[in-house]
Parts: sequence; C-alpha cells; structure tokens
Amino acid sequence: MRVAGWISLFMIVLITVLAFQGLIGFSESGPDWTLLNDSYFHNILAFSLKQALLSAFLSVVLAWPIARVLYYLPHVPALNSFLSLCLLCFVMPTLVLITGLVVLAGQVEWRLYGLNGILLAHIYLNMPFAIRVFYQQLKGIPDSSWKLSAQLKLNHWQRLRIIEWPSLKSSALMLLGFIFVLCFNSFAIVLALGGGPQSTTLEVAIYQALKYDFNIPEALMLAWVQLLIAGGLFLMVSRLGSANWLSVDTASDEWRPQVKGWRYWLMKSSYYLAWLVLLLPILALFFGLIQGDLSRISLASLIRPTLITMSLGLFSAVIGMALAYAMLNPIRQMNSLGQTRRRVFFEWLATHALVAPAMVVSVGLFIFLLQRIDIDRWGIVFVALLNTSIVVPFAVQKLKPRLYQFDAQYGDLSRSLKLQGWALLKIEWPFIQPVFLSTFALILVLSMGDVAIFSIFGSKEWTTLPWLIYEYAGTYRMAEASFASMLLLALCALILWLFEKAQTPHA
Amino acid sequence: MKNQLVAISIFLVSVSTYAADLTVYTYDSFVSDWGPGPKLEKAFEAQCQCDLEFIASEDGVSILNRLRIEKAKTKADVILGIDDALIEVTRKEGLVQSHGMKLDGLKKELNWKDSDFVPFDYGYFSFVYDSSKIAKPPASLKALIESDASVIYQDPRTSTPGQGLMLWVKKVYGEQSPGAWAQLAQHTVTVTKGWWEAYSMFLEGGADYVLSYNTSPAYHVVTENKTQYRAALFEEGHIAQVEVAAITRTSSNKALAQQFLKFLISKEAQTIIPITNWMLPVIDGVELPPIFSELIIPKRIGFTPNEVAEQRTGWLKEWRSTAAR
Repeated sequence: MRVAGWISLFMIVLITVLAFQGLIGFSESGPDWTLLNDSYFHNILAFSLKQALLSAFLSVVLAWPIARVLYYLPHVPALNSFLSLCLLCFVMPTLVLITGLVVLAGQVEWRLYGLNGILLAHIYLNMPFAIRVFYQQLKGIPDSSWKLSAQLKLNHWQRLRIIEWPSLKSSALMLLGFIFVLCFNSFAIVLALGGGPQSTTLEVAIYQALKYDFNIPEALMLAWVQLLIAGGLFLMVSRLGSANWLSVDTASDEWRPQVKGWRYWLMKSSYYLAWLVLLLPILALFFGLIQGDLSRISLASLIRPTLITMSLGLFSAVIGMALAYAMLNPIRQMNSLGQTRRRVFFEWLATHALVAPAMVVSVGLFIFLLQRIDIDRWGIVFVALLNTSIVVPFAVQKLKPRLYQFDAQYGDLSRSLKLQGWALLKIEWPFIQPVFLSTFALILVLSMGDVAIFSIFGSKEWTTLPWLIYEYAGTYRMAEASFASMLLLALCALILWLFEKAQTPHA
Repeated sequence: MKNQLVAISIFLVSVSTYAADLTVYTYDSFVSDWGPGPKLEKAFEAQCQCDLEFIASEDGVSILNRLRIEKAKTKADVILGIDDALIEVTRKEGLVQSHGMKLDGLKKELNWKDSDFVPFDYGYFSFVYDSSKIAKPPASLKALIESDASVIYQDPRTSTPGQGLMLWVKKVYGEQSPGAWAQLAQHTVTVTKGWWEAYSMFLEGGADYVLSYNTSPAYHVVTENKTQYRAALFEEGHIAQVEVAAITRTSSNKALAQQFLKFLISKEAQTIIPITNWMLPVIDGVELPPIFSELIIPKRIGFTPNEVAEQRTGWLKEWRSTAAR
C-alpha cells in the first residue's frame, strides 16, 4: 500500500516536472525577466489580482446573508434542493454557464465582455460554494450559545458579533483565499468573456504567449509569477484548514432564535431572489433554444461527444480517486507520527496541481510530447491523464480529513488488531463511504467540464461535449450551444443527484 | 467500473494508425462544411488518386505558430492560409522550400514572383457593417477610430485579419499608433482569437462594425440573398491580403505537394474558392456571380513582407501594451 502511495505521488509530480522540462528544454534562454519592466505585464498582473480579489470578496459578502437565511429559516420550502443547486452551480461546466450568460446578456442587451462578465461568472460559480460553507459553519453553533444569548437578552447586533461572527471568521478568511486562488487560475471564463487584452489574466497570457506568440521565455516568466503568487497563497490557505461543505452529517433540529417582522420578510424574499439568480442562466438556455433555429439541432451529432465526455470523466474520476487514496497513505502515516512539516510538504505536493498553472502544465507537456509522439493521434490519452492529475488535488482534499479522523479514532485499534490490506479497507469503507462517493461524483463532474486541457490536446475526432459547446458558442450558434449545454448540465445534475442519494442512509 | 475501463482502453488502442498521402495545415473556416476544404478535397482526390487530409488551426497565424513548434517533426506537406505579410517571417524560420513552379497564369495586378509561396486568393481588409442599421459609414479609418461605434476585431497574434488591422493602423498613424489603439479600445466590444468568432458575433448583432474583407458582402448576397451587408471604403486605402500556400521544408512527398499547389491555381479550384472562401480568384477568366463586380475596390497600401518580418514583433508588443491599458 505504502509503495503504491509513493508511486502515485511520483507520477503526479512527474507530469509537472515533464511539463516544465518541455518548456525549459525547448529554448536555450531562460525566463524573460525583462518583462518585469513591460507595462503589458503590469497591466495583466494588476487585472489578474483585481478580478480575483473582487470575485472572492463579492462572492463571500453575497453568500453570507443567504447562508444566514438558510440557517435562521430552516423551514423555507425546498431548502435541500437549494443546497443541491448550490453544489451544482459550483461544479457547473464553465461553458454551460458562459452559454447561459451570453444568451441572458443578449436578452437584456447588456455588455458582457470584460470585467463585468468575468466577475458575474466567477461570483455565480463561487458564491453558492461559500453559501454552503457558511451554512455548515452556522449549523455548528451549539444550542447552548443561543439559549445563553436569549437569557442575556442579546440584541441582533450583539448576537451577530458575539455568536455568529466567531463561528464564521476563520472560514470567511479561508473562503476568501480559496476563491481568490480559483479565480486567479481561472481560464475558460476569462478567455471567453475577457474580450481582449485589457481584461487578460496571467493564466490566459501564458496560454497566449505559447499559443499565439510561441514565446517560450515570456510564458516561462509568466508561469513563474503565476506559480509564486497562486502557490504561495494556496500554501497559506491550506494552513487555515479546509472547509466542510459536502458534509452529510444531518443533525436533528437545533434550537434557533426566531426571526419575526420585517427581518423575516426580508430574509424570505432574499431566499427567493437567490433562487431566481442561480436559476436565471439555466433558464436562459431555454430562451436560447426557443429563439434559435431548432431544426438545425441534431441529436445524433451529440451522442458521440456525450459518450466521449462520459468515458473521459469516468476514467479521470476512477483513476483520480485511486491515486488520491493511495498517495494519502504515506501522508496519513506522517500525520499519525506527528511529522507536521513533512506532512504539510507532502500534502502540498499531492495538491500542487491546483496551483501549478493548468495551462503551463498542459502546454509544457504538449511541447515535450510534440517532438516525441504524434499528438493528433494520441492527444486524447493526455486529455484523460492531465484531467486526472487536475482532479487528484480535489480528491485528496476531500478524503484527507475523513481519513485523518478514521486514523484518530480507529488507528490504534486497527494496529493492535494487526489489520492490514483488505481487512483494514473493509473497516475503513463504511466510515469513508459517504465522503468517497460525494467526492467521486464531484471530480467526475469537474473533469467532464474540462475545456482548457482539451483546447491543447484535443482533436476534432474526439470532440467532447464541452468543446462542442465552445465551438457552437464561439460561432454564435446559440440554439445548438444551448441544447448541448442543457444536455451536459442534465448529466452533471443527474450524477450529483444519484450519488447524493447513494450516500444518504436509507430511511 | 471494470468493464468501463476495459471499454475505454479498447477504445484508445483502436485509434487508427493511418496517415494521409498529403497533409495540409490550414485554418478552421477553410475546412468547415461550407468552406472550400471539402470540395477541394473531393476534386483533388479524384484527380490524384491519393488521400488528402486537412488539419485546421484557429486562424492563419496559428498555422505558422504550430509549424514553429513542430519544426522537423511536422506532418504537414503543405501549409495553406498564411498571408503575404507573413511570407518573410516563415521563410526566415526555414520552414518552407521552393515550389519550383512557373506561375504564368496569375493575374497581372498581383505581380507575383515569389519562388516559395503560391497565392490562391486575395482580398482587402475592410470593416463590414449592416446598411439597414447604419446609413452613413465613416469614410476613413481615422473617422472610425475616432467615432464611438462598437467594433469587433481579431487578435493580431493569432489572426491574419487582426494582423492586417495592425499594419493598417501602423501605415495610417505611424508613430501615433499607440494613441489610436487606446482610442479604439474605448469602443471595442471584444478582440477574438479567429475571424470566424468575430464575424458570427457581428451577425448576431454584437457590434456595428467587424473587421473582415471587401468580399464578405458577396457571401450574403449569393448564399442568403441578403443585400444589407456592406464593406466600408476608407480613403486612406486598405491593406491587401494575398493568401498563400507553400510546401514545407520537411515534406516527404514534394511531387504530390507540387501537384496540389498547381491544382490550387487551376481553373477548377479557382472556381470553387471565391464562392466558398469568399475571396477574389488569382487567375483571370473565372466566372463569378454578378455581385463580385459590385464590391468596393480600395486603393492598396501596406508594407513589404521584409518590413513586416523586421518590425512585426515590436508592433505586436506595442499593440499589446496599448490595447491592454
């Protein structure tokens, strides 16, 4: 088991190393540091930071009141569906969202391209995630706190400050950091909605330097900057701990303070408003469908891309889970032995793909392989492999806390019983099953939505559903784009729903 | 799950290992269902008894970029779709070889003498607008840039029209170009990667003007019977684009590549190209729909391929810095 863990870690790191080898080995000169004095670089760096900061801040600030509504009004209709919708939004394939937003913007004659569109899309994806985290945190407030606050007759403001804020403070910070990193690394949205050089991010600039200019030294320099900023931040965020947002622990009804009067109505209407906002881009797909020329849509042309997308997703999810589980093995041991520094280092290594710019890794590997194999024929294999390496960090992050918990509770016991291999796995499985299944569903949906890697390695012959949407949307065939988007979204929703069903104990 | 994996691995292994007799790199709209690619492929394959394969990039400049990455490993025998401005850049990188053909049949006005590149169509970069919405278009590039009309154009790093606009601005504004770019950025809706994206967005009502060709209106008249799309004639003159093809230095099938280039400028191919790629034919005596004689014929301005080869990197940087502000 332990050997499998080291091999898995080695493989994940190898992909990154080969990618950088591809970049460095290709040109004699190293990174082009003269770019540091170029106003173009200053502009894109400033824009990358600005959009990520705004996206993170707005997502968190907007999520907070909604999470409070969910907490204070546990009996609003369809609360669980709302939480499921939030999850769906967070993992929604970016091109489905882009299609929805483009149709929506067309309806209201709104200029989507540039900072507005990027912020809108980022908030749409990340705010629901923040809602779930905040909601979980609020649910963690013990009943005794509320009872005490009622006895002390604390007013709204005092309750907010003394009881709610302490429970949210650390996750708010973590969320800010996490969403910042996600948006800082965002690719498809910025590429599709950026609308030109004035709204380019580092991630897109790396892609452009490589694919547009074929300027390796410049791409290398940008990649290092990206890696330093995103990687550094990520390291900081991961020290803050990870958020519990997929939790299935449903405790019995807790005691909560009553909300009455205008506050009640305000909360209730903001709940429905949140529903509307989250559903709008999805509903827009129907508009896109109705408005377009329906006769141009052919179901048959979607079958193959759908099957390819599903197969690629399943491959990445199955292998991704196996790799994540295996590489957590040695890390769990470090955790049990209290080797904190080593543990943090290897945890970072296991999740580094989250910060090593996906573009650099893809393009680097592309260049490395281009001189060695026929990419037009074998590209799809690397789409599958790279997608796997991208989802591994997610799997690691979700599995890790549960496995640590298992070790803390049953580690000594299973060691004294000399449980190993299969026997140990059988004990572990019921304990990790809910997290395992939800994580599997999550990374399956995430890898099914990929366009970034496909844009580098894909070929027409292996067109996936998201890429098909990109082609349709890129050429403004909105009816086809909407239809394909609906299909992809329905698939994702179905997967999440099935797995959510599978993990809840049968009543 | 196991079955799935087995299925996938069979799926992957069964990828065919066949290679075409002649591989041609081109841009995506050229090989789209309504582009010239499929028809040319059929006509040429019938003639050569061989297998021709097109591999498409987003736009003309991307073809060159791909070739630069692949160098000697490239599968391409022919590149098709870069333009005259990129001729020297491509030649200096040592990516192509001499075509060894006599090019007598070409139109006199092209005055073509290049020993490596063969022209297959040409046109003038122009801003296209919908005359049912805009009654009086600007009469010059300066007027357009100083106006507040919404514009879509293509990225000069990936797209030959985008590069054409870069040359156009440089020719008209010279040292003042950075100011012009900044001014244009004020009313630019979006800068797209390829021509196709930009043009489709324009047709959906995304902007008042889109950078395209003087020949674009012909498409709408011939295939859709729509007469409202026009190209604006600018008094400073327009940059011409001659689209060219060449044999790669590493081609293992030069004889067939030559045959393909000959075919490209034959009457058969030249009759297909204008009404599928919507550009002007490079030989005389091709029968065309009447709208072709009504297109605007601008004054030709521009730089020599040598000037472009020397200055291009610097100009791109200038565009990038000023348009990014």
